[in-house]
Formats: sequence, structure tokens, C-alpha cells
Amino acid sequence: MAALEVRGLRKQFGGVVALNGIDLDIGTDQVVGIVGPNGSGKTTLFNVVTGVHPATGGTVSWQGQDITNLGPHRIARKRLVRTFQQAMSFPGLTVDENVRIAWEQGRMGGSRWASPGMILNFVGLAPLGRAIAGSLPFGSLRRLGLAVALGVSPELLLLDEPGAGLNDSEAQAFAAVIAQLPPQGIGVCLIDHDMDMMSDLCDRLIVLDFGTKIAEGLPAEVLADPKVREVYLGPDKKAAAS
Amino acid sequence: MPMTDNSAGKTGAATEGVRARDRLALLTADNAAVPLPAGVQAITAILLAVLLIALPWLGLGYRFLSIAITTLYTAIGLYGLGLQFGQAGIMSVGHAALMGVGAYASAILSVQLGLGFWTSLPFAMALSAIVGGVIGLPTLRVGGQHYIIITFCFCALFVIVLTNGGTFTGSATGLDVGSVTPLPGINFDKLSNNYYLVLAALFLALAATYLIGNSRYGRTLRAIRENEQLARSVGINVDLHKLGVLMVSGLFAGLAGVLQLYYLRHISPTLFGAFPSLYLALMVMLGGARYLYGPLIGAVVVNFLPEVLNLDPVDSRIAYGVCLLLVILLLPGGVGAGIKNVYCAVRGGFEKQGGGTNGRA
Ligand SMILES: Nc1ncnc2c1ncn2[C@@H]1O[C@H](COP(=O)(O)OP(=O)(O)OP(=O)(O)O)[C@@H](O)[C@H]1O
Ligand SMILES: [Mg+2]
Repeated sequence: MAALEVRGLRKQFGGVVALNGIDLDIGTDQVVGIVGPNGSGKTTLFNVVTGVHPATGGTVSWQGQDITNLGPHRIARKRLVRTFQQAMSFPGLTVDENVRIAWEQGRMGGSRWASPGMILNFVGLAPLGRAIAGSLPFGSLRRLGLAVALGVSPELLLLDEPGAGLNDSEAQAFAAVIAQLPPQGIGVCLIDHDMDMMSDLCDRLIVLDFGTKIAEGLPAEVLADPKVREVYLGPDKKAAAS
Repeated sequence: MPMTDNSAGKTGAATEGVRARDRLALLTADNAAVPLPAGVQAITAILLAVLLIALPWLGLGYRFLSIAITTLYTAIGLYGLGLQFGQAGIMSVGHAALMGVGAYASAILSVQLGLGFWTSLPFAMALSAIVGGVIGLPTLRVGGQHYIIITFCFCALFVIVLTNGGTFTGSATGLDVGSVTPLPGINFDKLSNNYYLVLAALFLALAATYLIGNSRYGRTLRAIRENEQLARSVGINVDLHKLGVLMVSGLFAGLAGVLQLYYLRHISPTLFGAFPSLYLALMVMLGGARYLYGPLIGAVVVNFLPEVLNLDPVDSRIAYGVCLLLVILLLPGGVGAGIKNVYCAVRGGFEKQGGGTNGRA
């Protein structure tokens, strides 16, 4: 039984069907990638799983418990933690305090980090501890977003385009950090548009289109799937944009 | 990956190169997030405590001491407002009414049941806290601007209820109470003893504010102020904490209200209406809601300004308006921010301030 089990998940915004019956199983020992064209429902999937939006139908269960429509803070406390597509921080506070806030929330029931400083070291932000989060350059802000999520001591991290807006070397460094997570018992579910990085990093790829899962499997298999090539990569070979 | 950033290791040469405009930006920035060294904090606290304790001995006269008492109980109310606005980001323009809840609860308990200062205090504080929480309930559904309007309406409604409350609330005339029940050897009819009573409560409020600000609880409140969505995503129960901080703020307001009641010995509805409420909002913004001494500074400035400049009430209202505009435009963090920045500048410690706080001035 996988840690996160999503069954028949539906989400409608008025007439827009953003999720049309999604089934997913995600463990805590892998990097699972979610790809799909813009507007295919990737972010909505994270929002419904983490309780930001109520589901229209279907169920989400986490470690055997039904968590469908539980409040976002309750879900985070169960160590199912997400980041946001737009880089987010507590902008008026120092980097230290940003991470400490999350770490103190995750400390109930034991944190995997002895101190917030360990997290800053892990993501490479230690020298910037006293900087104000709102004044960070974008690359560091992305790292801070990851550090805050890690602070909660997650067992599964849902990362929504953590590499968006980073240059190539920054994105590679970021991917290297993400690759270190599953061996430490932190599962990763990752949304990104960079197919090269995704096929390197992910153990498994899931493809969404119009709120439906159209393919799932090893990256090489999925990318070779004619259905995927048609809807995602488009009629001409590579239209992947971010 | 190399970290290219301006905030970590600014060298002395770079500091010298700071241009005048940047200096101004640094002097006016809001640096509440970066703590001062512990030693500086301790020395400030001790000097302030000594000054406040010595005040009645300085021979400044009856009138001065009276204004000082008014300043201090107002500051206690402001520390509650500082907590909900400065830490959690929830502004109220009806805070005097919340002080009024405490004052009237205590006065009614005295008139109806004969309860004295000490016995009625806990009830008055609890009632203020409950009312503060109840007014806050709608904020959970709607935004902060909506809450501001609700607090203002509450204030108007409160005055109407009091004025029409018959003998129970004393109507427009208000209610009278006796003096504070004496403690062994301390008679609170003496003005300086009343001052020390209020001062002791102020020290409590200051200590509570300091401890909350440096605790996990304070950080939780700041997280909510800075980014509610992110706060939720790290496991913070935002709704619960918003209600909670409004109730804690109500406790401060209740305490301030009861102290006000027993200093004045007579209260009437106009003390707790729209104007006093706006003054409280003014004071907390003027002083700097995010700074430990900000509310106290705001209370001192607003209470002593007309006295120092010898202004009549109309002129002083204009002066307050001008002050508030100046602070909002030039010193968004309040006078507290200005003082801290000047200190950091004198110490040549610009690099302490975390650098690139945006240079818009
Ligand atoms: N809060 C909302 N209210 C109304 N419609 C929404 C809302 N959030 C998403 N949608 C709609 O749901 C659909 C899926 O959007 P979603 O943001 O999940 O796509 P996505 O796969 O994350 O896209 P992208 O790659 O651009 O981030 C879109 O049609 C979008 O317009
Ligand atoms: Mg998205």
C-alpha cells in the first residue's frame, strides 16, 4: 500500500473540470514526476490533495487515513507538505526565522532536523541566515521555499515547479538537492516542465492532460508513448514551455 | 552553486561607499525583523525601568504625574494592539471600546455587587478577551479591511448601548467607583502609589510582549502576518491563532480599562468611542507596532505633545494628523524604527541590518 493514495479525484471550478477522476499511488522512497501541458490540472491536484481547495469528488488517503478535505494545516502536520508554484516566503522576516517557524511546527512528534540551521546547511542557505527573505535573489528564494517545506519534517514533499525561473546551473544544483531526499526517507512528487531534468531525476512519470491521467510509468517508456508525444509534446517535436 | 548576494558579508569599504540617499533609506527602513544584540536590549530595559521608577521623585508636579499615568495605562492597551497589529497584522480602530468593556465590567461589578479593584479585575479582563474574540469571528471568513470596519461599528454600537443602558450603565453620565482596595501599607489614594500600580501593570505588559515576541508563539503570529497561505502549509492553524491573539489583545485592553477606571474613578461612554479608538490606532502606528517600545513611545508622544507644545485640543488634533502623515510617509516602521536605525547607524552597523531592504525612500 502506497503512502499517498488518490482515488477518482475530481475538481470542478464552475464549468471547468480541472481534475476528472485521478488515481495515484505515491510512496515515500521515490521521486515521482508529474508533467502535462499548461492548465492540465497539476497545481490543482496538489491544491486538492493538500486541502487548499475542497474536492468535488473522490478520496485522498495518507498512510491509511482518509484526509479528503481536511484543512491544509492538518495535512501538513501529518507530514504531507507542499510548496507553491509562485516562490513563497515570509518576506519581512529573516531567512533563519522563516525556517525556524516551519521547524517549530514540525517538531511536535519529533523532527528529523536537530535544528533549523541543519536545514539551511542542507539547502545551501547557511550564509544568508540573517538576510531578510523579501530581499533574497530569486534563486535563493526558491531554496528558501524548499527549506521551509523541509522544516516541517515531511515524509512526502509535493514540489510545484521548484525550478521555474532558475537558470540552468541553478536548476541543476536544485535537482541535485532534490535527488538527495528519497534516500533520507523523504518522498518527492515533483511538477516540472523541463523534460530532460525530469527524466533524469524521476523514478516514475505521470502525465496529465485536461485533468485526466493519460500515461504513467518509467520516464523512458512514458516519453516514448505516442499518446504522450501527441498531447504533451505537440505535433511538432518539442513545444515544452515553462 | 555560488551565492551572489548583497546581504551577507558587506565589507567596510562597501559601507563607506553608501551614498546619502541609501543612508536615508536605511534610516527610514523597518528593521523590526533583525534583533539588536542582547546587551543593548538589556541596557535599554534597565535604563527605561530606572527612569520610570524614579519619575515620581523627580519633582515634576501633580499634572505631569497625572499625564504619566494616563500615558502608561494607554500604553498597556496599546501593547495588546501592538500584538494583534504588529505581530499578527490585524489592525483595529475600535480598541478603546475593548478597554471600555473592561472598565464598564469592573465598574458594574463594583456598583451592583460591591466587588473591588482586585476581585473584579480577572472578570473584566476575561470579558474583554471574550468580546475581542467574538468581534474577531467574522475576520476568519473575510479580509482584514472588513475587520477594521467591524471594529469601528462595534465601537459606535458600544457607545449607543452604554448611553441607553439606564442606571445599569449610568447612561450618558456614566458610573463612579471608589479607590483601589488598599494593600497592606499601600494606599492608592496617593497619586504616586496609583502611578506605581499602573507602572507595575505596564512592566507586566512589556514582559509579556517581549516573551511572546521571542517565542514560538510570536513567530507563529508573524508567519500569519507575512503569508497566511504559507503559514497554513507549514501546519499553522491560522484561524485559531487569529482568534487567540485577539483574545490576548483583549486581556491587555481589559487590564488597561480597569486601570483607567480606577485612576479616573468615573467613566462615561465618550471615553470609549470612535475618537479615543482612532487615537489608539494613531499611537500604535506612530510609535511602531512591531517594536518592543513602539507602543510606549506612541503613547508618550501623543499624550505629552499638546502639553509640551502648549496646544489646545483642536490644534493638537491637527498636530496628530500631521505627525501620522509624516510617519506613514517617511518612517513606515514608526518612531521606534527610527530610533533603532539611528542607533545602528551610530554604531556604523549598517551591515547588521541584513542589507538590501528595498531602497525606496
Ligand atoms: N482557483 C481557481 N479558480 C478557477 N479555476 C481554476 C482555479 N485554479 C485552477 N483553475 C483552472 O483549472 C485548470 C487547471 O489549472 P492548474 O493551475 O491546475 O494547471 P497546471 O497544470 O498547474 O498549469 P501550469 O503548468 O500552467 O501551472 C485551468 O483551466 C485553470 O484555469
Ligand atoms: Mg501549475
